[in-house]
Amino acid sequence: MLQFQSVGLSYGATRALDAVDLRIEPGEQVCLIGPSGAGKSSLLGLMNGRLSASDGAVCLNGEDLGRLSGKSLKEARAGIAWVPQDLGLVPNLRVNQNIACGRAARKGLLGILKSLLVMGKGEKEEIAALLRRVGIEEKIFSRVDHLSGGQQQRVAIARALYQNPHIILADEPVSAVDPERAKSLVGLLTSLAREEEKTLVMSLHDVSLARRYFDRVIGMREGQIVMDGRPDEIGLEDLYRLD
Amino acid sequence: MRRRWFFLGGIFLFLLGLWVLEAGPADLVPSESGRVAAGEFLSASLSPAFDFQNPEMRGGESRFFEKLGRALWLTLRYAVVAMSLALILGVIGGVLGSRAWWSRPTLFLQTLRIGVRLLATAVRSVHELMWALLFLSAIGTSPFAAVCAMALPYGGTLAKVFSELLDEGESSAAEVIRAAGGGGFVAFITGVFTRALPDLATYALYRLECAIRSSAVLGFVGIPTLGYEIKTAYEDGHYREIWTYLYALLLLVVFFEWWGARVRSLLTHGVPARRSAENVGGNIAPLATLWKARGRSWFLRASVAFLLLGVTAGWLVEDQWGAGVSWEQRMKNLDRFTDEIVPHPVREAGGDWGEFGVWFMERMTERGAEALWQTFHLGTAAILLAGLVALMGVRFAARSLVSSSPRGVREGPSLFRKVIAMLLRGGSMLGRAMPEYILAFLLLRIFGPTVWALILALAIHNGGILLRLGAEVIDNTVSQASSVILAQGGSRTAAYFGALLPLGFNRLVLFLFYRWESCIREATVLGMLGVASLGFLISDAKVAFYYDEMLLWVGLGAALVFFGDLTSDIVRHRLRGQAESR
Repeated sequence: MLQFQSVGLSYGATRALDAVDLRIEPGEQVCLIGPSGAGKSSLLGLMNGRLSASDGAVCLNGEDLGRLSGKSLKEARAGIAWVPQDLGLVPNLRVNQNIACGRAARKGLLGILKSLLVMGKGEKEEIAALLRRVGIEEKIFSRVDHLSGGQQQRVAIARALYQNPHIILADEPVSAVDPERAKSLVGLLTSLAREEEKTLVMSLHDVSLARRYFDRVIGMREGQIVMDGRPDEIGLEDLYRLD
Repeated sequence: MRRRWFFLGGIFLFLLGLWVLEAGPADLVPSESGRVAAGEFLSASLSPAFDFQNPEMRGGESRFFEKLGRALWLTLRYAVVAMSLALILGVIGGVLGSRAWWSRPTLFLQTLRIGVRLLATAVRSVHELMWALLFLSAIGTSPFAAVCAMALPYGGTLAKVFSELLDEGESSAAEVIRAAGGGGFVAFITGVFTRALPDLATYALYRLECAIRSSAVLGFVGIPTLGYEIKTAYEDGHYREIWTYLYALLLLVVFFEWWGARVRSLLTHGVPARRSAENVGGNIAPLATLWKARGRSWFLRASVAFLLLGVTAGWLVEDQWGAGVSWEQRMKNLDRFTDEIVPHPVREAGGDWGEFGVWFMERMTERGAEALWQTFHLGTAAILLAGLVALMGVRFAARSLVSSSPRGVREGPSLFRKVIAMLLRGGSMLGRAMPEYILAFLLLRIFGPTVWALILALAIHNGGILLRLGAEVIDNTVSQASSVILAQGGSRTAAYFGALLPLGFNRLVLFLFYRWESCIREATVLGMLGVASLGFLISDAKVAFYYDEMLLWVGLGAALVFFGDLTSDIVRHRLRGQAESR
């Protein structure tokens, strides 16, 4: 369970988040919506400890992430996957090698080097099975920069799943694709997360996608939560509050 | 960048340079004897030697092509071995000097990083020929001294460029791995180093090409590479032999340029997997089939094997790295050298460095300041000339302007235009394949002892490089305006000067500054061929065994290159920002 207790975050004089209280239960599918600069990325950055709160506490299963460091922080992070806006793939590596990087925390340096240079048959098969679920199994040994934008997004999703996390964080992963492809990718990620009972927190711009695929929608504006509820509870006046 | 001021400033600096260097237009016309020598030398280019020109040498134990082969092999071997050492220095220095390596920079680590980068810049500021002189003076002639002389500045250059490439290659891939609990080292190796690997390999291959040229030039200070054979053949008046050596060097460099370009392309773009193998009877192929169909290049594999074999052979074949001189003797030489590099008034005063100031000021006012000023103008005048020639040449060499449909507007083919473009591109390739030092050596024989020979040598080599880079910039510039000009009946020249040049201008200036830094570096050594500048003072001091003065001039040259390097870095950084914001 993820819990925010009166969390504030400042970048110098700029207040990115202000007194945020939030509780996300295991297995929930949560969508963050709001205009640019509303604080969605900052909220996601606090969830996996990439950022430290200026005040308040961000707790993961009761443990304050801000107080963790070294090995305990790495262990906590190993259970949280992150799909950034630019996907964070290494373009000159093959798909299987990129996906293997999802387990960097568990493998360590030697394990990762082994996966990159001489990947074992078992690992290849495991990755192939995962790629089958995201629909690009035949691309397992292709270089990532030889794939289309949509296929690259699927690789990023597969890498997140390969990490076998409890929580998946996705920061506007479909901001640069057409509406049809965005629909199919958000649908894929939410269905995979549901199947495996993983918590999913995704930031989006598109309200219709948020309404269609998520259990819960959180609206943000100027660093504060201005709306939080089930998709069918979102009214027109709620959307006005976001602008 | 205000173009008008840039052009006016360039013309002013060029004319000032010619005035400072006392390079009058009359010096461009060779003397009567020079014309005869030049005629003989140039006509020999049509009949390169296939045997010794000296009849007494024919039928001897050694054959001409054996001698040529040995010189080529040594040139290549010293270059490869030096690069293997430089690569180790470059990777260590590059990693320690990059921001990406220090994920949580403290003040101490920041200082360390900047210190590593400054050290790399300082080491590369001393030209390899100067390093060679220092090593040869310190420990005597030996293959290992030659290799170290190249490895140090090349290591510094690799470290500097590698650190920049690693910082450019930093991406969210490393951040994703850190965010997933991976260690900083794992994140660096997979997210930064692996991502930057094609660029690192590309640059290392380019430096290998440069190392081959440098290795040939080391022959001029007594290392038995191609430069040594060219120099001795010239002293014996065997012009046809010189041309054989020059053609061999050109072939070697052009081969490595072609090979490097091919490897670069494969590393950057990769080889696509065979798509036809992805499906079997409508179903996705088994894993083993997909593995077999993955993109792979035998050329790349063979290249890696060839390089590993070359480095191993390069190290193992030599059994006399120390040239048979005992370790004891070398230590004695080094002791003597370290004693003699201390300025002589300091030595005579029993190590009192209070005497240094007067000695330094005397040297500077007598010759140093003037030589420094001349060296600066030599490099600057040469790069401005090269830039001007390239600026004009690009109009006729850029493929997108030469084609029958320039910038997508059909105009019809022209054989004449194609021939001019081919000649320009061929000339540019030859110009950049030939080391400046060897070009200057040959031009001095044609023009006589005039600084024009050095200016032209630097301009030919750098003009070749700028022409190629400039043509690439123009070909890659997206400009609807140029198509509009052509579609409305405007000429290619109008499209170039009216639309393409203004758009690509910042990038062209960026390359000009990048080469200016190299020109200044080369200018510090060209004087060793006997024309006034820092290089002349260095070789003068060496001949007289004034090692203290020699070190002073080397240090002064390094300071000038260091200044040029930093200035060029700052200007390029600003220009890159402006170019990217467009």
